[in-house]
Amino acid sequence: MSIRRWHASRSQLQVSIGWLAVLLLWEAAYRVIGWQPWIFPAPSHVIDATLNLLGITTYLGEPLHAAWPWRSATAPSPSAWTSLGAIAHSQLVIAILTSGYRLLIGFVLSMLLGLLLGVLMWRYTLVNSMLGPVFLGMQTLPSVCWVPLAILTLGISELGILFVLIMGSFFAMSISLRDGLSTTPTIYRAAGLVFGARGLNFYWYVMLPAGLPALASSLRSGFSFAWRSLMGGELIFVLSRHGLGQLLSTGREFGDIAQVVATMGIMVVFGMVVDRLVFATIEKRVRARFGLA
Amino acid sequence: MFLLPSALAVRPEAKPARASRGRVEIRNLTKLYPGSDMHALKDITITTEPGEFVVVVGPSGCGKSTLLHLVAGLLAPTSGEIYLDGHRVDGPGPERAMVFQEHGLFPWLNASQNIEFGLKMTGVPKAARREAVARALEMVHLSHAADMYIHQLSGGMKQRIAIARALVMDPAVLLMDEPFAALDAQTRTLLHEQMQELAVQTHKSVLFVTHSVGEAVRLADRIIVLHSHPGRIRREIRVSLPQPRHVDSHEVNAVVGIVRKEIEDEVNRVHSQMARVA
Repeated sequence: MSIRRWHASRSQLQVSIGWLAVLLLWEAAYRVIGWQPWIFPAPSHVIDATLNLLGITTYLGEPLHAAWPWRSATAPSPSAWTSLGAIAHSQLVIAILTSGYRLLIGFVLSMLLGLLLGVLMWRYTLVNSMLGPVFLGMQTLPSVCWVPLAILTLGISELGILFVLIMGSFFAMSISLRDGLSTTPTIYRAAGLVFGARGLNFYWYVMLPAGLPALASSLRSGFSFAWRSLMGGELIFVLSRHGLGQLLSTGREFGDIAQVVATMGIMVVFGMVVDRLVFATIEKRVRARFGLA
Repeated sequence: MFLLPSALAVRPEAKPARASRGRVEIRNLTKLYPGSDMHALKDITITTEPGEFVVVVGPSGCGKSTLLHLVAGLLAPTSGEIYLDGHRVDGPGPERAMVFQEHGLFPWLNASQNIEFGLKMTGVPKAARREAVARALEMVHLSHAADMYIHQLSGGMKQRIAIARALVMDPAVLLMDEPFAALDAQTRTLLHEQMQELAVQTHKSVLFVTHSVGEAVRLADRIIVLHSHPGRIRREIRVSLPQPRHVDSHEVNAVVGIVRKEIEDEVNRVHSQMARVA
């Protein structure tokens, strides 16, 4: 192991130990000082709540006793853990799939609309002078502000949620694509023309690849807008199919603060994983190819 | 790798004894800066012969790069015409392939795909493209760099790929816009040598723009010195020294002196004009 890698792994270890210490202190506040878990849950309650949402019943948050982590009376039995099939049908998995499905449909629609308008704004000055300032303004509107309009016009429905998601994300994507495209070096255009690229070929083989860095970063920012809009929409739209946002609002209704915190944690992880795995990867690859990384 | 056994021996059968095309006629060309009545170029008339290496020199701002972009068809003249072998230029095209100052290679393609680009756009079949690309890479001695991406290449390699990309189109005239300006002196000297060999080897007409007098004298059959503000032709100088020319030789230095004098007079003229205005 090289010295640099050793330093890197050592600093990672230090960070992990630091966070572990914070969690332990937090847990201790509940165990020793007696913080009330219904006001602020201990890490063990949050873990319980997360596993509960997965259909696994645990009692890590119970006071310490002989049978811990199981409930004092019951011995650890196979029935305490549910089968894999039950996990697949648990609230959390269904909520993630539901939100993921809405996100996919909504993001694709928003992307088509956003990219199309972004290209038109970049290409035609008139379109840009008409839509540019409006889009910049709309971009500042928090996405939940679209909810009342969505409810009144589309009702409390899947369509309403999609509407909020699309309105919350496509303006930003258009603006970002337009700006990216207009800073694309004009020399690619000139070189394409000199070497005989015409019509569709010109757009497909020159302008599209030249605009890839702009496209990648506009998709990435568009996704983060779409994801936040969806969560905002789901918090307010209570539908029969529960997404992550609805899980959060059920947690609130039942006063289950551990579930609220657990759901928030899951949202953070979900958003980060999609961003890292999909959008950051695309952006990184494009930038590396352009020698920008 | 720049020391060829003999550039001419690479592909003797493919070389015509003398260029039969590549006559550029620039007639009374005038270009105003967009949205103003300032002249970038005023009443320029130049005719180049097939196979001739013509270098346009002048101080920065004399419109020499604009002139090249007009010939390339990337800009439209305000008045006047440009003809290539009797056909009027009214847009860009691969028969006037260009080597850009900042290479203008596509970073999303590797070296051989960049060279192949123009052939692909003009509908050359795949097998023929592959063969032509391999030959072009060989010509600029970069066969080993075929699969490298642009950001992996050095400045000199980039320009050689850009030259190969232009030559592979078999253009009637090769347009070169200060192609070596951004390179270090050593690389530039090597590329001068290569460029001159390529010009002999391919019998291409070349229209080359630079602000470096040494470069002009090293390469040119004919040098055109431009005035600035507005860009006009100040003088034409035919350089009949035999190639390859050595930058340090007396003969070359003598011509460099003449051209430099022209440009210095020109710069002084502009300065004194500006001083008068001030």
